Amino acid sequence: MKPALFALWAALLLSAAQAQSSLKFSEMYSKVTVRGIEFSPKVQGLSGKSVSMVGFMAPPLKPKLDFFVLTKAPMSSCPFCSTVADWPPDIVLVIMPDGKLLDPSTGALKVTGRLEYGIKKDDQTGFVSLMRLYADKVENQ
Amino acid sequence: MKTPSLVKASLLLGTLLALSSAAAAEVKIYPYSGAHVLAGQKFDLRVEVSGVAAGAEASVMLDGKPVAGLIKTNSAADTVEYTLRGVSLIAGSHTVTVTGAATGQATMIAEAPATVAQAKKVILFIGDGMGWNTVRAAELVAHGYNPDNGMPLGRLEMETGLSGLATVTNSSYDSFLTDSANTASSIATGQKVLVNALSVYPDNTKDSLDNPRIETIAEILKRSKNMGIGLVSTAFGTDATPAAFAAHTRLRGDYSAVADQYFKGSAKPDVLLFGGSNDFISQTVPGSRRKDATNWIDGSQKMGFTFVSSRAELMKANTTKLFGLFNLSNFNSYLDRVQFKDPSVLGDFKDQPYLWDMTQKAVETLDKNPNGFFLMVEGGMIDKFEHPLDWQRGVWDVLEMDKAVAWAKDYQKTHPDTLVLVTADHAHSISTYAGYDHTKGPGNRDAVLVYQDGKFPTYSDKKDVNGIPMVTPTRGLAVGFAGVPDYCETFTARPIYKDPTISDGSGGYAPNPDICKEEGAYFRTGNLPRNTNQGVHSADPVPLFSFGPGAQNFVGMMDQTDIFFAIAKAMGVDATKDAGK
Repeated sequence: MKPALFALWAALLLSAAQAQSSLKFSEMYSKVTVRGIEFSPKVQGLSGKSVSMVGFMAPPLKPKLDFFVLTKAPMSSCPFCSTVADWPPDIVLVIMPDGKLLDPSTGALKVTGRLEYGIKKDDQTGFVSLMRLYADKVENQ
Repeated sequence: MKTPSLVKASLLLGTLLALSSAAAAEVKIYPYSGAHVLAGQKFDLRVEVSGVAAGAEASVMLDGKPVAGLIKTNSAADTVEYTLRGVSLIAGSHTVTVTGAATGQATMIAEAPATVAQAKKVILFIGDGMGWNTVRAAELVAHGYNPDNGMPLGRLEMETGLSGLATVTNSSYDSFLTDSANTASSIATGQKVLVNALSVYPDNTKDSLDNPRIETIAEILKRSKNMGIGLVSTAFGTDATPAAFAAHTRLRGDYSAVADQYFKGSAKPDVLLFGGSNDFISQTVPGSRRKDATNWIDGSQKMGFTFVSSRAELMKANTTKLFGLFNLSNFNSYLDRVQFKDPSVLGDFKDQPYLWDMTQKAVETLDKNPNGFFLMVEGGMIDKFEHPLDWQRGVWDVLEMDKAVAWAKDYQKTHPDTLVLVTADHAHSISTYAGYDHTKGPGNRDAVLVYQDGKFPTYSDKKDVNGIPMVTPTRGLAVGFAGVPDYCETFTARPIYKDPTISDGSGGYAPNPDICKEEGAYFRTGNLPRNTNQGVHSADPVPLFSFGPGAQNFVGMMDQTDIFFAIAKAMGVDATKDAGK
């Protein structure tokens, strides 16, 4: 039912020495209006830096994952499975390092990696993300 | 060299193959045989012949005469299609006959135009997923009973002062089960439509936007009478129910195209009030769901619309063309907006209007058109919370819609040329099967009270600012669903919504552990396929309550497609006429 997750590899020595910033889902946006979303100053300040976030893996599409969607709460809707899935705006795309694949998981995860924000479309899936974590480490909570 | 017997065998085989390829030829004609349309109602005639040799031709006759202007296409090597857009028929029975490469026939009836307009304005409420049992649960919450004599203390507004009452059954072109797209399309067009399709017939092409279209009641009223058209919903704006009245696509998920058709299509709604701005803003803006740079907030204003995005702005608006978006996605549920009010749930959307506000402002706006109006008001979130088995959020959204109905009934009293209809697109497998004693805590099966132990619910003891009962009674209802995935039950409303299931990581779904950890939560084995993450629509009937002139057309047992013709009759529609605008 719950495949074990493996910490991928030790982060770069340099980043291991850095103080880790953590980011909550509630801290992602400073303003959400009908005209769109504004990223919070905290996100803007952490851009390009190593950040930890705790959340849940959205229903995955594949048995082995080179990317997944991190959500605030466990979800049953899948971003790729349904055109009518109603997505919360506060989701983060987690991209695994080249050659490293993850097993699907249902428990809480702590993802540590480089934060990037701004609209980006994944050419392979067509999935549009607002915020991304290029993961160094994914741990069970 | 072949022996004679082999030659015979291969000849025989060749003959058989020829016969089987001829036998495989198939003709599809849209409108389908048995379709009823209004005389003058526009539709795209399409004939598809498949399983034929390359270069095959067919001839298409309407009532014995060749159809002029057909566009011939070949979507695949073994198919030929003939399409003529914007066709209409005079009253009577008509037959489309196909001959040539294959033969087929379809007979359709064009209903005669109405001669008298019984009503000049119609307000059509659609409670998405609001079957009879959903209405009953809402009634039990809203009014309950006098415990001294067992007499009911009242009924919902939608159930009182009726001019007409019907029970409506529904189905799809391809199934006895339905979704919100094809059901709203049946109400809007009078046709049976594929699940997930909006006011189009099937076709054999991949393009979801080129399917044969059928004119909707909103488009007909705009074209033939130049009436005002309004679409209002608490769901996101391009969701299936409003979309079916003003957009055409094989796939309800073509959200950007639906948004475009609201402003570029032929229904030309004068009032659009929704949640779900994400389909109306440019893809360059974070939060957009579009794949292009179109921005209808700005674009609509260039077309003369007044744009509003909060309750305060809505109530101040004084205009003839009104576009309102009040959330990035769906509205929050009534319970979240009024009773739970969790800041983490509402976020920056602290001033969303009530459905009754939107109904009132839509009517005030449309009333400026002397030709009358057609307004569709959807309680869009009822269904969206029944799916995840959150019956409280669904039922309280019925109570919100009921207050909008109350406003419409009052308006009807002072505007007697108005017909008010209240119905649903489809039902859910919901049932109030017992009472529940909340003093015994959540998730307690021994607190489920049956027969005389159920006594009477006490929701009415505490009310919110709008006079709607609080969701935290001492004695409440035990409500469940017949079709469920594996999930954990608590019998209690939760202040923050949670999905009932989560992915199990291998294509199936497991009960949401966050719910299963709650006090008293216990596991219920599901009966739906393991890849189903929530409850589903049921085949159960839905009500249709009517008020005012023309209500006599909505009585007894109705198929959902009948609603279209009954509205047309009540509104005195002559679709053969063109108002010329």
